[in-house]
Amino acid sequence: MKRLVLILLLPLMVLAACSHKQEELPLYRQYAGRQDLTAAQVNGFRLNDTVTVDVVFLVADDSAAWQRLKEEMDIRASEGVTSWMGAINEPACRVKRDVRPAWRAMAIHADRTVAFYRVEDSIQYKALLDYQLDNKMTNTTL
Amino acid sequence: MTFESIWEQEERQGLQRRLRQDYPAWLRRRRQKRRTAGGLATVAAIALFAAVALYNNTLTTKDYESVYCNRAGTTDAQWVALAGKTLTRAMI
Repeated sequence: MKRLVLILLLPLMVLAACSHKQEELPLYRQYAGRQDLTAAQVNGFRLNDTVTVDVVFLVADDSAAWQRLKEEMDIRASEGVTSWMGAINEPACRVKRDVRPAWRAMAIHADRTVAFYRVEDSIQYKALLDYQLDNKMTNTTL
Repeated sequence: MTFESIWEQEERQGLQRRLRQDYPAWLRRRRQKRRTAGGLATVAAIALFAAVALYNNTLTTKDYESVYCNRAGTTDAQWVALAGKTLTRAMI
């Protein structure tokens, strides 16, 4: 009987282990209720063959909402792209580059968008930088 | 020997005889049940493993796992594309 239960439980445990990532992140939940923002979360965005990353987007509906979001995220610049490493529980709080886990945050002023990439370890951070470099090189070639 | 002791002896022997006759049949039935249960469990386990493998396969062939958005009218592809585009626009 014990063997029977084990045989049936094993695949379920594997399934549970595989599906644990498919859940809403606290950062997304925090902003999902806001009327002046579009919040979105991409689970497991593929950076390369083996590494994926979770991404949260906050897009301001208008310039007033963008101003509010900038103040909340402590962004002082008003053009181009502002990027920083944010604390996992408080993305607006800047942390050192080697702190893990953390958010790799990028605010694109022209699009009124802030993107947060959840960095769990150095492998993920390296893959993120590689993805940036590879695509920039591709764009330059084109 | 009293009548009672003869009666008891016969009863005991009768029970032992019945046990000797019934035990192999009971053993066979138990083996049969276990075999059936084992077979069913194996089939169920194979089906579950196949489902897990298929599920994982769909994950590996996609560029993302799932998307949540608080607004209607947006598509998954739009956000996945933005995830890549944002990285290429940002400074390292």
